[in-house]
Amino acid sequence: MNVSKSLLDRIGAFSSKSGGGKPPLRGRRLIVASVALLMLFPLLPFIDNYWVDVGFYFGIYALLGLSLNIVLGEVGLFDLGHTAFYAIGAYVTAILNTKFHIPILALLPFSALAAGLFAWLVTAPVIHLKGDYLCIVTIGIGEIVRLTMINNPFGLTGGPNGINGIDTPNLVVPIISSRQFYYLIWAIIGIIAFGLVRLQRSRVGRAWNYIREDETAAEALGVDVRHYKLAAFVLGAALAGIAGNIYASKQMSVSPESFTFMESSLLFCIVLLGGLGSIPGTMLGALAITVFPEIFRPFAKYRLMFFGLALLLMMIFRPAGFLPRLRESGETLRAALRGKRRLPAQAKNDEVQATPLAMAGQASPLLEVRGAELSFGGVSAVSCMDADVVRGRITALIGPNGAGKTTLFNLITGIYKPQKGKISFKGGKISGDSPHAIVRKGIARTFQNIRIFPSLTCLENVLCGQHCRGSAGFVASILRLPSQRREEAAMLSSADRCLERVGLAESADRLASSLPYGKRRYLEIARALAAQPDLIVLDEPSSGLNDGETADLAKLLLSLLADGVSILLIEHDMSLVDMVSDHVIVMQSGRKIAEGAMCDIRRDPRVIEAYLGSEED
Amino acid sequence: MSTFIEQLVNGLTVGSFYALVALGYSMVYGVMKLINFAHGDLFAFGAYLGYTILTSAAGKVTASIGIWGGMAFTAGIVAICVAAAGVLVERVAYRPVYPSGRLSLVVSALGVAIFIQNSIMAIWGSRPRAFPASVVPSLRFSLLGIPVTALQITILGISFALMFAIWMIVEKSTFGAAIRASALDRETATLLGIDVRKVIFFVFALGPGLGGVAGLMNGLYYRAISFNMGWNYGLKAFTATILGGIGNIPGAMIGGLLLGIVESLLSGYVSGAWKDVFVFLLLIAILIFRPTGILGEKTAEKV
Repeated sequence: MNVSKSLLDRIGAFSSKSGGGKPPLRGRRLIVASVALLMLFPLLPFIDNYWVDVGFYFGIYALLGLSLNIVLGEVGLFDLGHTAFYAIGAYVTAILNTKFHIPILALLPFSALAAGLFAWLVTAPVIHLKGDYLCIVTIGIGEIVRLTMINNPFGLTGGPNGINGIDTPNLVVPIISSRQFYYLIWAIIGIIAFGLVRLQRSRVGRAWNYIREDETAAEALGVDVRHYKLAAFVLGAALAGIAGNIYASKQMSVSPESFTFMESSLLFCIVLLGGLGSIPGTMLGALAITVFPEIFRPFAKYRLMFFGLALLLMMIFRPAGFLPRLRESGETLRAALRGKRRLPAQAKNDEVQATPLAMAGQASPLLEVRGAELSFGGVSAVSCMDADVVRGRITALIGPNGAGKTTLFNLITGIYKPQKGKISFKGGKISGDSPHAIVRKGIARTFQNIRIFPSLTCLENVLCGQHCRGSAGFVASILRLPSQRREEAAMLSSADRCLERVGLAESADRLASSLPYGKRRYLEIARALAAQPDLIVLDEPSSGLNDGETADLAKLLLSLLADGVSILLIEHDMSLVDMVSDHVIVMQSGRKIAEGAMCDIRRDPRVIEAYLGSEED
Repeated sequence: MSTFIEQLVNGLTVGSFYALVALGYSMVYGVMKLINFAHGDLFAFGAYLGYTILTSAAGKVTASIGIWGGMAFTAGIVAICVAAAGVLVERVAYRPVYPSGRLSLVVSALGVAIFIQNSIMAIWGSRPRAFPASVVPSLRFSLLGIPVTALQITILGISFALMFAIWMIVEKSTFGAAIRASALDRETATLLGIDVRKVIFFVFALGPGLGGVAGLMNGLYYRAISFNMGWNYGLKAFTATILGGIGNIPGAMIGGLLLGIVESLLSGYVSGAWKDVFVFLLLIAILIFRPTGILGEKTAEKV
C-alpha cells in the first residue's frame, strides 16, 4: 500500500547528510549553475546541431518526466501508459494543423486540454483502483490509444504511417532551427517547473503526498482523495499533451511507433531514476535516459541491453534515485511565503476556535448513532447499535476484541457506510458522507495501528489536518495569491500550535518515520487536532504506551476537553478509562450491552460476563 | 458453423499459450506481489531457444527417434533452460531490490525485460525467424468433420496435461499448500516454518519453464517468431491472469483459454484490426466491475 516506506531509511540518511532542514545553499548554487549551463549549451562553439537536438529531446523527456512525476512521484499512482496522453497531444496538434492550418502554438492549449480531458474521461471510472490494478489499466489505455491510431478511425490518424507535413511553430519569428526549438522547449519547461515547485510547497502538493504515503489516512483526515488523484492525472496529462504538441511540430510528423509501451516504461524509469517527487531529480533522470543511448551509440546493437542492465543496477544500489526529494523545513515554507512583498496584514486570528465549553450539557447529543448495522459477507460486525456522544464529555467505548468497536469508528468516520440506521452529528445526518466531508464537519480521528505519513516531516503530517480548513486550489497556489499566502501562514501557525500541544514542537522538521513509537501516537493526535474538530475519535490511543506515558496522555485528553473538544475513545486500558471518561459504552459481538458511568459498569453482570466469561463456564 | 468451430479450436490453441504464460504471472504475483514484466520475454527466449535446438542439434535426435522425439527432446531442454533463466532473473534482479519496495521492483522488472529482449535481438538478430517446415509435423486430419492438425492436438494435449499437473501440485500437494500460504501472507508463512525462499525458487523455475514450453509451441504453431513477441504475449497473458483472478491458479488457466477464444471469435466475426482494442477494453471493464476476476474472491482492506 505504501509505495515508499522502504526507501525511507536511505532518504533519511540522505537528508541528514545534506543538513536536514536548512535551505541548502550549495543546492541553490548547483541549480543556478545547471540553469546557466542549459541556457548556454547550444551557443558553445563545439556543439553542433546534432547535440542541440539531443538537448531538445532531453527537454521533451524532461517535460514528460515532470508530467509523469505528478502522477507517479507526487501521488504514487502507477501509471505505465502515460505515453497515451503524450500521443493525444501530438495527434490533436497534427490533425488540427494539417486539416485546418491552425498555427502550432495556438494549438498548444488545445493539445493540453484534449489530453487533460481524455485523462479525466478514462481515469474517472478507474481511479479507485489500487496499485498494480491501476498500473494495468494504464497499460491498457496506452495500448488502446496506440492501436486506435494504427487503425486510422475515420481516416483521421493516418494509420501506421501517421500524419506528415505538420507546420513549424511561429513565435514572432518562425521557429525552425535546432537552437530555436531547444530554447522553445526549455522556456516552456522553465515556466512549468516554476509552477510545479510552487505547487509542491502548497496545500495541493502536500495533499498529493499524503495520498502517496497513506491513502486511507489522507481521506480520513480530510483530503478528497478522488479529487486530488484525478486532478493529478489531468494535470499530468495536460503537460504531456504540451510535450506532444512541441514534439509533433519538431518532427513535422507523428506516427504510432513513437508512442509505444516502451516509451511509457522509459518515462516511468525517468521518475524512479531521478527520485520520486523530485523535480531536479526528474530532470537528471531525463538527462540519463537521453544521453545514455548517445554515449553507447557505437554499440548500437547492445545499447538497450546495457540500458536494461543499468536500470537494474540503479535499483539495486540507489533505489531512492539520483536526487531524492528533500522535505522543506517549516522555516523554508515560511520564508517562501514571505517572498519579496510583505504579507498583507496578518490574518485577524488565524484559527477558528473550537466551540467553547459553555455549550456543554446541551440537550441534544453531539453525535447520535441510531440503529446502525453493518455486516461483512453475512457476518454481522455491528448491529442495532445506538450510541450518543454528549458535548463536553469523554466517552469511552470498551469491549472485548472483535466486539465491533473499530468497525463502529469506521462507520462514524465514514470509512464504511452503515447498511441500516443513521448517524448524525450536530443535528445533521452524516452517514453516507465520504470520510473527508465528515472531517470538514468536525470529526477527526486517529488509527489503532498508527498511520502517519512516514516520509514527510512532522509539521507536514500535522498540516494534513489543516487541509480541510483551507481552500487554496491550483491557481491560487501557483500564483501565490495573497489569500493563499494568508491561508498558508495561518495553517502553518495552527499546525505549530498543535505540535506544541502534544510536545512535539522540537521535532517539527524531523521525518515522521524517525519518531519513536510513543511519539507517533502523539503526532497522530496532533494531526487530528489540526483539523479543529468538535469531536475527536481516538482508537486505542494508549496501546503500546507505558504507565508514565499513559498518565501524560490522560492529562492531554483532559486538557483537550477543557478546550471544548469532545472525545470518543476506544480503550483497553481500564485505568485510562477510569481516569478520564465520563461515560462508558460497552460493546460485545457488535451490540451495545451496557452503558453508564465507569463505577456502574464495573458491577454490571453482563459486562463482567463479556470480559471474564459466564460463571457457569 | 464449421468456421465457428475452427475459430474455437484455434482460439483454444492460442488460449492454451496464454494460459501457460498466465500461470507463471499468476504464481509469481501471488507470492511476490510483483508483475514479472520479464516473463513475456522469457517466453520469447523459449521460442528462440527451441528454434535453435530444432534447427541445429535436434536433426540428429530426429533422425534416430523421429520427429516427435525430436520435439519432446527440444521441449525438455527449453523448459530446463528457461526455468534456469527465470531463477537467475529472480536472484539478480528481484531479490536484491525487494527491500526497496514495489516501485523499484517495477523498474527493475522493466530493466530485465528490456535486457532479455535486446539480448535476444543481439544474439538472433532483429529480423523474424521462421521454423523450417522439416522440423514441424504436418500431419492433418479431420475430427468429426473439423480439419485439425496433429500439432494442434499435441499442443492442446500437452497444455492441458501441464495445467492439470500444476493444478494438482498447487491445490492438492503439501508444497502447493505452502505456495498458497506464502501467497496469502508471506510473513505469517515464514513464521509458520514455510521456507518462502524455496517457494520463490519453485515459482520462478516453474513459471518461466512453462512459459518457455509455451514459447516453443507457439513458434511451432505459427512458424514465425520475432525478438519482441514476448511483450505482446506477455500483456495478453497478463490480461488473462486478471480475467481469471490474479494469484489464482485455476483462474489463470480459465482466463487464458477464455481470452484465446474471445480473441479468435472477435477477429473472425468482428474485426481483426480492432481485436486487441476490444481485449484491452475487456480488461478495463473487468477491473472496473469485477476487479478480483472470474474466480477471485473479494478481500476487504483492514483499516
